[in-house]
Amino acid sequence: MASILSLNNITKSYGKIQALKGVSFDVPQGSVFGILGPNGSGKTTLLGVVMDVLKPNGGNFRWFGEEPSDKQRRKIGTLLETPNFYHYLSGERNLQIAAAIKQKPPEDVDRVVKLVRLYERRQSKFQTYSLGMKQRLAIASCLLGNPSVLVFDEPTNGLDPSGIAEIRELIIELSKEGKTIILASHLLAEVEKVCTHVSILQQGTLIASGSVHSVLSNEEWLELGSANPENLRTLLNQFPGIKKTEESGDYLLVFFESSPDASALNQFCFEHGVVLSHLQLRKKSLEAEFIALTHNVSS
Amino acid sequence: MNGFCHTLRIEWLKVKYYRSFWILLGIIAVCIPAFNYVIYDITNNSFPKVNGQNILGNPFSFPNVWKTVPYNAGLLLFIPAILIITLLTNEFSFRTHRQNIIDGWSRNRFISIKIMETIMLSLFVTGIVVLTCLYFGFHSQQKGNASPGWQQFRFIVFFFIEMLSYSMIAVIMAMIIRRAGLAMGIFFLYMIVEQFVVVLGRNKYKATWINYLPEEVTDNLIPQPFAPRMIAPDHTAFWEQHLPGYITIGIIYLILYILYVSWRFRKNDL
Repeated sequence: MASILSLNNITKSYGKIQALKGVSFDVPQGSVFGILGPNGSGKTTLLGVVMDVLKPNGGNFRWFGEEPSDKQRRKIGTLLETPNFYHYLSGERNLQIAAAIKQKPPEDVDRVVKLVRLYERRQSKFQTYSLGMKQRLAIASCLLGNPSVLVFDEPTNGLDPSGIAEIRELIIELSKEGKTIILASHLLAEVEKVCTHVSILQQGTLIASGSVHSVLSNEEWLELGSANPENLRTLLNQFPGIKKTEESGDYLLVFFESSPDASALNQFCFEHGVVLSHLQLRKKSLEAEFIALTHNVSS
Repeated sequence: MNGFCHTLRIEWLKVKYYRSFWILLGIIAVCIPAFNYVIYDITNNSFPKVNGQNILGNPFSFPNVWKTVPYNAGLLLFIPAILIITLLTNEFSFRTHRQNIIDGWSRNRFISIKIMETIMLSLFVTGIVVLTCLYFGFHSQQKGNASPGWQQFRFIVFFFIEMLSYSMIAVIMAMIIRRAGLAMGIFFLYMIVEQFVVVLGRNKYKATWINYLPEEVTDNLIPQPFAPRMIAPDHTAFWEQHLPGYITIGIIYLILYILYVSWRFRKNDL
C-alpha cells in the first residue's frame, strides 16, 4: 500500500528539551492513523513539523512520495492544536479566506458549514462562537475542497458528548470514502473506535507503530460468575487451554493460551453441574495497552 | 503576477471588514492634511512680518511646500506604524500566520505579501502627502509664480524612503515581540532613545556617525524647511554634500530590514 506520509528519523529540540527523538513511520493510504501519546509526548510537534510550522533539527519527510511543498499542503485538510481564525470576521468570511488560500471554490463554504451544523451561525463573528463551535468551524475548514488527506490534532477538544460522537461518525464516514486520516489524540477510547493504524509516542520517542492489531496484543479473557465460585474454580482446572485464573470481586477472570471459546466453556460447566450466572468476553482496552506500553518504556 | 494578485485579494479579505484598519487609515488620511493646516496657520498668523514678509519665509507655497509637508508628515509616522503593528500582531495573536501556512501558503509568500503591504501603505501615505502638497501649494500660490517647482519633488521620494524605513522598523518590532501593545511601546521607546542618543551625540560629543543611525539617517533626508534665510549657508551645503550618503545608507538599512524579516520568518518556528 502506498504511503501518504513517510517520516524518516525526525528530530526536534526546543533548547535542551528534545521533543522528537528520531521518529520514523509511514502512514498508509486510506488508513485512519492514530498518533497517541500523553500530553507533552510530541504529537503536536510532529504534526507541526510535517505542516511546516516547525522546523525539524534533523530527518526528513515526504508527502505523497514527494518533497514537501505548499502545493501539497493545499491538498490536505489540517486542524492543528487550536482553531486559528480572525476573531473580528464571521465564520463564513474566515472560511472564504481559507478556501482562497487552498485555491478551492468559495461556493464550497456553504457545504462545509452545513456539514458541521454551523450554517445558521455562519455570519456571526468568530469571537462570539463557543469553544465547540470554534472547533466545528476548524473541522469545516479542513473539509474545504473535499481533500483526500485529513490531519486532525485533538479534533474533539471542547466538544460535548454528542459533538464527540458526531466527529467520530464523521471520521468513520470520511474513512469509508477512502480518505486518509491522521488523528492525534490522547482520548484513547475515541481512537480505538476509529483507527486502523496507530503510532505511540512517549517523551518524543516512538515506542510502537503499525496496524492496530499488530501494535495491540489483542488479549482476550472470560469473566465468569456463579452461585458457587469454589466449585467453579475446581471445575476449571479440568478445562483444557486455561493459562491462569484471577479473582476480580465477585467474578473469576479466566485467561487462555489461545482465543477463548465462551460457548464451549459454558457447555462444559453446565454438563458438570455448575450453572454460570455471568459470562462475558473481555478484551484489553487500548488504554490498558497504552499504559502497559508507556509504563514499560518509562520503567 | 496572477499569484501576487490572488495573494493580495486574500489580504484584502482579511482587512475589508476590519473596522480598526479603516479607522486607522482614516486617521492617517485626515491627520496629515489637518496637522499641516495647523502648522500653516501658525506659520502665517503667529509670527511677526518684516517688510510684509513672514520671517519663516513661505514654506507652504511652491516649491517650498514639497519640503514642508513631507517634513511635517514625518512627525506623524508613528500612526501608520501603529496600523502595521496592529495588522501583523493580529496574525501572531490569532495564530493565523500558522494557519495560512498550514492551509497552503509558503512562508515566503506570507512574508512577501506583508512586506508588499508595507510598501503599498507607504505609497498610500506618500500619495496623501502629494495631495496635501498640491492643495497647500496652489492655495498659497503667489502671484506670478504659477510653477509647482517639480525639481523639489525629490523630497516626496525622500519621504517615501523615510516612511518605508519607519514602517519596516515597525514590522521588525511586530515580528519579534508579537504582542500589539508591547510592540508599539518598544517602537516608541526606540524612537525616543535614538533621538536622545542623536541629540546627546551631536551636542556633547560632536559625533557625526549618529547621523547614520537607522531612524536619523532617513530623518536627515528632509531638513527642516522653516526660515531658510536664518539657516547658515554652510549648513545647507553640508546637507547637500551628505545627501547621497543619507540616501545610500537609508536604502541599505531598508534592504537589511527586508532581508532580516524574510530570513527570520523563513527559518524560525512559527
